[in-house]
Parts: sequence; structure tokens; C-alpha cells
Amino acid sequence: MEGLLFWFCGGFLLLGGLMMVLQRSAVVSAVWLVFAFICAAGIFAVLGGVFLAVMQVLVYAGAIMVLFLFVIMMLQGPVLEGERKLMPVGMWPLIAVPPVAVLLLITGYLRSDATVAFAAAPPAGFGTVEAVAGLLLGRYLLAFELISIVLLVALVGALALGRGERNQPWK
Amino acid sequence: MTIVYESLAKIGFMFAVIMGMVVVLIWMERKGAAFIQDRTGPNRASIAGIRLAGLIHPVADVFKLLFKEDVAPANRHRALYNMAPWLVMTVALSTYAVIPFGDFLTVAGRRIPLVVANLDVGMLYILAVASLGTYGIVMAGWAANNKFTFLGGMRATAQMISYEINMGLALLGLMLVFGSLRVTDIAAGQADLIWGFLPKWGVVVQPVGFLLFLTTVYAETNRNPFDLPEGESEIVAGYHLEYSSLKFALFFMAEYAHMVIGAALIATLYFGGYQVPWLPRPALEEHAGLLLTLLLAGTALVSVLISVAFLRRAGRERGKFGDARDREPGMGAGLWLIIALAALAGLLQNPWHIGPSGAEAFASFIQIGAFLAKLVFFAWLFIWVRWTLPRFRYDQLMHVGWKIMLPLGVANLLVTALVMALV
Repeated sequence: MEGLLFWFCGGFLLLGGLMMVLQRSAVVSAVWLVFAFICAAGIFAVLGGVFLAVMQVLVYAGAIMVLFLFVIMMLQGPVLEGERKLMPVGMWPLIAVPPVAVLLLITGYLRSDATVAFAAAPPAGFGTVEAVAGLLLGRYLLAFELISIVLLVALVGALALGRGERNQPWK
Repeated sequence: MTIVYESLAKIGFMFAVIMGMVVVLIWMERKGAAFIQDRTGPNRASIAGIRLAGLIHPVADVFKLLFKEDVAPANRHRALYNMAPWLVMTVALSTYAVIPFGDFLTVAGRRIPLVVANLDVGMLYILAVASLGTYGIVMAGWAANNKFTFLGGMRATAQMISYEINMGLALLGLMLVFGSLRVTDIAAGQADLIWGFLPKWGVVVQPVGFLLFLTTVYAETNRNPFDLPEGESEIVAGYHLEYSSLKFALFFMAEYAHMVIGAALIATLYFGGYQVPWLPRPALEEHAGLLLTLLLAGTALVSVLISVAFLRRAGRERGKFGDARDREPGMGAGLWLIIALAALAGLLQNPWHIGPSGAEAFASFIQIGAFLAKLVFFAWLFIWVRWTLPRFRYDQLMHVGWKIMLPLGVANLLVTALVMALV
């Protein structure tokens, strides 16, 4: 069951990633990326990291991609008229990629001993909120806090750069 | 395999509750609006003269929307345009998976917990699914290729991003108090009493958090006073402007399904969920005979009174309309009389000696009933607020979200953490 779910999520994750790259419209690309994120969350859940899976959906699909979509829609505006539906001729060989990927998935599933791969159950309490919190706020506390400071610096820096030369009140 | 059937049964029950509530809420909205604006409201649709105080109207609406022509703009983005209503509805329905609608029910010796998925991280699941709800609205706004729908989608995104943080902060305080991310733990923890008389409900231990959560739930459901994404007077109808027939119906039903979720969340997290105040599960089971007798006697008495009221109306309004509607009071009296007789028949079955298994089942059903009663009340609160408050202006929305609620939420979290650390 878990093996089947893993291949299911993995297959759709590949499909989502591929479609995201192949789409001409940035908005549709973003939607496929959200789909890929949700499939990745599914893989986390299959592997026992339920907390990680929910956070993946909450943070990446629910917050970051909403902002991305917001910005893309603002820049791209409404649906392009006379939008070219097909890919350019040079990219047509890429059509072979999905069937090959599916074939690889199927052979991988048939050849791997799926029951063995998932037989080694994770240790008790693996992937729970307590376990993740214990690691983040215990063993990796310094790295965790440093990363948040780096993000804060990046945020302030982006703001300062984005305002441009003339709009900086401190000058 | 049993667990699959159990889950299917629970999903079916929740689905039936939601869809039934959607129909009732559409009726409640129209009648409630009429009540608040001092008019009669819908009262024309009837089946053989029976109007059920306007309850036939939602049924008529469904048939109208089913058979309407589906008009769509020519330059739409086909795939996203078709996907959006489906996505909105799916997301609206999937939050219910973690909401417990009762404690447990014993069927054929198996204790079945009355929640579809008892997740470790149920609270986070609620937030995650709520945040996905915007995609349908944004897609609808963009794919219809119309400037008004586009503005509606943009507004929905901005509003969702601003209020989701506040929702998380409000829920964090609650998680601290009850020490769990499981929705069932939080519902079960609210059975206790503080100082022996005050129910330990979320609203009692987290009053500020409750106000924040209530506001954010209203914002997330895009209901007045936060219905800027629709904003009829400014952007016509916002994101669902270009939808018609059943696709529009999906958006419409999703709004009400969101209301039912909102009401279920408020009831579960802040008002004890399925708990009956001052009557925890053991007390319910212990006094099941007495309670059941009282319940049946009360039902019989009330139904007889309603039946008498209908009879008097039938006498007063004889031949008022001169058509099939004249039969209505008589049939109402008959229906309530049948209910009264059923309750009396129940009383004759000696409900006082209900037995231990009967007492357990009785307690389960009373708790489900308590949950549904709270659900209906908070759904009514949504309607009440909608027809009472005017819509926010956009800058007011952002001001409230970022400059008032966010600091308040952080302060609430810090104070809660401090109190939890000290006590």
C-alpha cells in the first residue's frame, strides 16, 4: 500500500515538475508547481513525516506560491490573446519524456522490492511535531536561528534595494 | 476492511450534514435577511400548496441552476476556468476530515471514534487546507479574462495572506492551553470545569484568541464584512462574475460550505465541540434514563403546542388564499401531532430503564446533537453579521489585519505562554 502510494505521488510529482517547465503561460506553470508541491507533501507523508508534509502544503503551496501567483498575475495580466498553444518545434522531442518517465516508474516499481523498502519502519515518534521541534529547538538551535536571521537580512535588503535610490528616507 | 467501511460511513455522514446545511443555510440567509430588514422573504415556491416557510426555494434554485445555459467568455483560459469551481468546492469539503462531530459510538462492540481522520497535526491541517482555498478563487478571477474578476481574485489573495497569519497566531494560543495539535484532544479537553462551575471552553481560556479567530474565519470565508473579493457595488460580482449555471452554483455552494466549516471550527475549538456543558460523558451515561424521559416528554409537549398553534391558524385563515395553500396549516398540525405521538410512544417504551448499552448510544447521539446545535447557531451568527455590518473599505481591511490584529495576536500568544509557564 505504502509502496503504491509512493510511486503514485512520485509519478505525479514528476508530471507536475515537467508540466511546470513546459508550460508557456507563467500562471499555468505556477499552478503545476503547486501541484508538484502537494505531491511532494504526499511523499513526505508516505515516508512517515506527516508534520513535514503538512508544513510543505502550509508554507510552500499555501503561502509562498500564493504570493508568487499574485505577482505573476499582476505582471502578466489577463489571459494572452492568440496565445500559442503548442511548444516550439525544437522542443517536440521532449514529448517523449513523459512516456519514458512513466515506463521508468513502472519498471522501477516492478523491479524494486517495494515491501522491503518500506519494511524498516521508522523509529517510534519519528516525524512527529515533538521530534521535529526537539531537533529544531535543541540540536540545531543555532543553525535554525541563524537561518531566520539570514532570511530577515535578505528581506530588509530586498526592501532597501526595491525602494530604489531616490526613495530611501535615510538619505 | 471494516475500517474502510467505517471511514466511508463517516465521510458520508459529514457530506450529508454539509449538503443539508447548505440548503438550510441558503434558506436561513434569505429568511434572516428578510427578518432583519423587516420584510417577509421567500414564500412563493410550493409543492402542492406546501411552502414550508420558503424551504422549497433552495430546491427550486437547484433545478433552475441545473437547467440554465452555461454562458462562458470566449477568451477564457479553458482548463483553469473549468477547474476553479471544482477546486473551491473540494477544498471547502476537505477541512471536515479532522473535525470531530462526536466522541465515539459503539456499533456491534466496536468503539468508533466520530472523526474521519484523527491526525497528529490536525490544527496545522486546518490551516493548510484553508490556505489552499484561495487558489480556486484566484484561478477563477484570472482565467475568466475580465478585469473585474481579476480584481476580485487579487483582492482575495491579498486578504487571505493578511489574515492567515492572524488565524495561525490565534490557534497557537489555543494549542498552548490544551497542549496538543490534535483537534480531538482539544475537543475532549473542553469537558472539564474551571473552579467547579465554568466550562473549560476555548472561549473562556482564550477570549482574545477567540475574537481574533472569529474575525479571521469571517475573512477566510469571504463573507461580509470581508466580502471585498465579491464587492457587488465596486467590482460587480468579483471572481465569479463570468460563471453561470452549475459552475456558479458550485461557487455559491462552496461559500455556504465554507460557512459550515467556519461554524464547525468555532464550535469545536472555542465552544466545546460535541461537549454538553456541565454534562460530561460519564454523567450523560449515568443519567441517560432520566434525560431521555425528559427529552421525550419535552418533545411531546412542544409538538402538541405547535400543533395547537397550527390548528388555530387553520381556523383563523380558512379560505384565505382560495387555492392549495389553504391546506398548509392543517397539514402542519397533522405533522406535529405525528411527532408528538411518536414521542409519546417512546415514553410508553419505559425509557427510564434504558440499560448500559442504550445509555452509551444515547450519550453519543446527544453529543452529536450538541455539536450540530452549536454548528447551526454559529452559522446563524454568520448570517446575522452579514446583514448587520457594512463592508470594510480596502485600506481598513489591511489596517485591521496588520496593525491591530497582528500585534494583538502576538501579545495574546506571549501572555498565554507566560501564564502557562508560571502556572
